[in-house]
Order: sequence, then structure tokens, then C-alpha cells
Amino acid sequence: MRMLWNEVKKIFMWKMMLLLLFINSILYFLLIEFHIDSFPNGSGLYSYNVGVEMVDKYGATMDEEEFIDFKKMYEAKVEETNRYLQSREDFVAEGIDTYDKFTAYDWWNPSQEARALRDDVFLGNKIDLFWELQERHGLIEFHNRRKRVPDVLSDKERQRFEQLIEEEKFGVYTDLVIQNFKSFIANVGVAILFSVVLVISSTIIKDRSRGLLLLQYTSKKGRNLFKTKLLAGYIATFIIITSLLAVYFSVYSLNRTSMFFKVRVNTFIANESWFDPTFFQFIMICVAAIYLIGFIFATLSMVFSSRVPNMVSLIGIQIPFVVGFLIFGLNPLLPNMILIWTPKWLAPMSYGLMILLSALIVIFLWKREKKMDILQ
Amino acid sequence: MLVVKDASKRYGDFTALQQINLEFNTGLYGLLAPNGAGKTTLIKMLATLITPSEGEIQYNGKNILEMDEQYRELLGFLPQQFGYYKNFSPKQYMLYLAALKGIGKKEALHKINELLDKVALSDVVNKKMKKFSGGMIQRVGIAQALLNDPKILILDEPTAGLDPKERARFRHLLTELARDRLVIISTHIVSDIESIANEVIMIKNKQLLYKDSVEEICATLNGNVFETTIDFESLKAFRKKFVLLSEKQEYGKIIVRFIHKGVPEVEWISVPPQLEDVFLYEYRDEIEGEV
Repeated sequence: MRMLWNEVKKIFMWKMMLLLLFINSILYFLLIEFHIDSFPNGSGLYSYNVGVEMVDKYGATMDEEEFIDFKKMYEAKVEETNRYLQSREDFVAEGIDTYDKFTAYDWWNPSQEARALRDDVFLGNKIDLFWELQERHGLIEFHNRRKRVPDVLSDKERQRFEQLIEEEKFGVYTDLVIQNFKSFIANVGVAILFSVVLVISSTIIKDRSRGLLLLQYTSKKGRNLFKTKLLAGYIATFIIITSLLAVYFSVYSLNRTSMFFKVRVNTFIANESWFDPTFFQFIMICVAAIYLIGFIFATLSMVFSSRVPNMVSLIGIQIPFVVGFLIFGLNPLLPNMILIWTPKWLAPMSYGLMILLSALIVIFLWKREKKMDILQ
Repeated sequence: MLVVKDASKRYGDFTALQQINLEFNTGLYGLLAPNGAGKTTLIKMLATLITPSEGEIQYNGKNILEMDEQYRELLGFLPQQFGYYKNFSPKQYMLYLAALKGIGKKEALHKINELLDKVALSDVVNKKMKKFSGGMIQRVGIAQALLNDPKILILDEPTAGLDPKERARFRHLLTELARDRLVIISTHIVSDIESIANEVIMIKNKQLLYKDSVEEICATLNGNVFETTIDFESLKAFRKKFVLLSEKQEYGKIIVRFIHKGVPEVEWISVPPQLEDVFLYEYRDEIEGEV
């Protein structure tokens, strides 16, 4: 235990921690801040408010009766808007005294007065009713098209769509919340990936390049220290991921999306998925995926750290792997891993393969280390 | 007893050591050879850092690689160059190594103070090692090798960076240590071991050349080492003709020490051979003179 503690302490040197803080601050402001500060963004506020109201009133699912109630709410709001329009002489003068007339107006060729009035309710006086009605109307439109199956689909995707329709799992809630979370978690994934690679990369190479192996491997502990170093690397990875997730999820809590936690992912609009966890379960799946990605890249970093001659080559050799993963792997293996547009087998197969390869590489490395001549 | 049995080491086509056979008991052994002769390879094989390509090394009849930590527990090792953490103090560094050697913290702290005192570093116990001179680092290295009170102490070029006073202190320390353990010192500096080694091992052409006492090794040149005084003008021709061991200027002339295996000239004075004479003779490079 003393050795393990020593090795973990060596990884968490204060200089490295400062660098970690610096990198995460930059990545936070570049990638994550927008998804926290600007949520809900613009008209998204009305979408969010309507969504919260729906969850409060109808719970995690909506049946037909509840949707009829939702439509009644819409109609009540339309009535309220009608009264507002009729109270405005300028709208009446323009012949727009009901919301139906407002929506039916030819807004492609508006009169100067009509355009001014529209700008006034949407931008000038910013009348909430008009924004809110748009959102409610959009949700009703989605609901009306709920049983439509897209034309271009693979057999499996079509089967899944049909299964969801049969089980009456329709997208009724605004996708704003889940899309915001997906953007957030993808960027948190990037920050954590960089952090793990940054900290873990130097775990093994430092002692090797300083010539410490000569003393370490001739001590009683001997080459078994390599296994302790690997274990320390994994413990450090766990600590880094857990700490960063704790920080980033504390920040995410400012988005106040917890009321959607019990909503199932297929109940969010345009989020048809192979499985049907709740939003909270989906968050947990993403957290688990981040741990897996972290451990896999920690293994990769330690592999390179025990092979390459110096830090420059260590950084250089990892860039294609990290960049390649960010371009091709991050979205299908993290935020969209259960989405219907990602093959169902892709995430389990990829993670399974990566875990297997990591385990094989670690076994190979240990066997090699046990017999390797230490020449430095 | 440590035994090297028919040990060879090859790196691809290059042979570093060939068919080495040695036996070590309690006492001090000096491994003497010029740089690049294979001393470090042999030392690293004894320290389990390198596996012999052929043959094996046994301790009390057991293969040291199979003994694993049982062997390393008995081992104290100082490499030619060793790594350290610059921001560690000698105390922190030795505590780290003590943990690797399986020594409890309490016991280690006591031992560390004692050893740092022995190598005259007791006043810098808590200073960061990045501020240390080469000699001070080397003394930390010597101290760490003694942490586990080893039965086998292997030191590769231990006096590198030490000043004459430190060397003398170090020789005393080694003599003391070699009383009840096996000490192997690899060096190319003859004076490091000449006066203290029970036996000297010399390697030449990747093979064992000598393993004997200093007296016996010197005896191989008995009657062949001479001194004479010559003019400066004759020096060049003398160098070509004989294996010169040393040259010393005195009263405008040169006193030369050299080896000659034939009939000596009258004015030459026969002198008792020293270990350095054997070293220079055996490892002479491109000396064209006759012997």
C-alpha cells in the first residue's frame, strides 16, 4: 500500500495539478460554458418552460387524454392571444385581430405596418404569448406526425421505429433538454480525455527516462513495481475523472433539468433510441462511458509511456489516437451511443473490443517488462 | 556464495561478454577493466537487470532470477548513473527507496539518519537534491545501496565525482563493510581497489582475464617492469620500442617506467610491478613497441 500511495503521489505533483486546472479552465470556456450560460438559449426559454409545465402536469409520460388537455391549454392560450390582438387597435386596423389570422398572414410579403407589428410582439415588446404559442404549436405538430416513419431506413431501424409506435413511445417532450445534455457531455468527454492523457502520459516515462529503473528494479519490490505503477495510473485516472465529473456536473446542475430525469429518452422529440432508459439513467450511462473512455486512454497512455524514448514523442504519438477518437468516436460512442442513427452494435462492440485490447496490451506489457534488459 | 556459470551476453550480433565463470565469497572484489570492456554488463547481470544470453548466475546454488525478490532482498546496488527526483530531499528519496526495499518507515528513518551521517550528508538531510553537487549525489547513491544492510553489495563506478578525501573515506567504509559480506566494485580507477580488494577481476576481449589477488596478478609481470632515465630526445623512439607505463620529468631528464620481457640493459632498474602496470600493459592500445 505504501508503494501504491507513493506512486499515486508522484502522479499528482502540484505542477501537474496546476497544468490540469489551466487546461480545464481553457476547455471549459471554449467548449462547455456556452451550454451552461446560454441554456435555455433565445426562444429555447419558452420551449423549456412549456416542457417543465408538461412534466409537472402530466409526469414522465403523456397519454392521449393528457395530450387532449395539452391541446386545450393551447386553445386557451390562443384565446388569450386573440384578446390581446383585439385590444391592440393597430393590429385590428391591419385586419389581424385573431391568432389564426396572425399565423395565416402572408409573412413572405407583409405590408410595412404588419412587419412592424410582428417585430413589435416578437422583438420590441417581446410578448411571451406569441413565443410560447409557437412552441406549443410545434409540439402539437410533432404529436400529429408521431406515427410517421421516415422513408430512408435500414430494416433494423424501421423495426425499431415500428416497435416504438406500437408501444406508443412517442416524442412528446421538447428535445432542448436532452440535446443540451448531449452537447454538454460530449464536451465534458473531450475535457476529461485531454486531462487523463495529460496526467497519465508521464506516469511511466518519467522514471524510465531519469534512469530510476536501475534502483527500482534491483530493490525487493523489483519489476513488480511496474504493476504498481499501472495500478496507480488507473487509480489516478479514477480520481481525475471523478473529480472533473463532480465539478462539471455541479456546473450542469445550474441548467435545472432534474424535473426531466424520469422522462424516458424515446419520449424526447427526435431522440428515437435502441433502448429506453430514463433521462437520469441515460446520464449514468454517459458517465459510465466516460469512465470507460478514460480508462482505455489511460491504458494507451501508459503503453506509450513505457515504450517511447521521450516526452515529445509521447505527445506526438498520442495525437492521432486522441484526435481520431474525437473526430470519429466521441459522438457515436458517447452522446449518441444508443440513438437509432448509430448502429445498435457499435457502442457495445467498440467498448468490448477496446477493453479486450487494453487487457491484452497490459498483459503483454507486463510479460515484456518482466524479462526486459534494463540498459539505461 | 555467488557463482557466475558460463555466462555470455549478446545483443544481436554483438557479444558483450563470453563464457564468464566466476565465484564470489565474502570479501571485496574489484572488477577492473577499461570503459567499454563489459564491466557494467557483468554488474547488471549480477544485479538481475540483464538476463544472460547463455549460462546462469547462482546464489547458494539457486538461480538468482528464479530466486526473484529473495535474491534482491540481499542486494545493495549502486549503478554508474542513477535517477532521482530533483525536488526530493535525500531523506524523502531514501524513504521512497526504503519502501521499495520493504523496510518499514520507522526503521528506515533511523537507518537513513545513520547512513547519511556515514556519507557526511547529515547537514543536508532535508535539502532538495537538485542543489547537490555530483559528489553529493554519489554519496546519496552509496547510502541508499546500504539501506537494507545487504549481504551482496554491488557498486558500479562508485567513486565517480568523489574528491580524494571522499574517496579515502569511501575506501575505509568498504573495508569495514567487506568484513561480513560480499562487495563487488566495478571501476577503471586502479587506486580505488588496489589497496582494499581481496581479489581483482579483469576482463579482456569479452572474456575473463584474471581473477586473483593483487599480489598474484602483479606477479605475472615480475622481472619485466623497469625504470630508467633518458633524454627528452630519446623519448619518442623509446615509446615506439617499449610499452611505457609512466613518464616523470626530473632534472631535465625523463624517468620512464616500462615493460620489457627480454634481457634487460645494464642501466635499467628492475622495479616491483604494481596493479596499474598490469592494467596498462593488458589494456595497451596500439602500442607498437616490443615487449
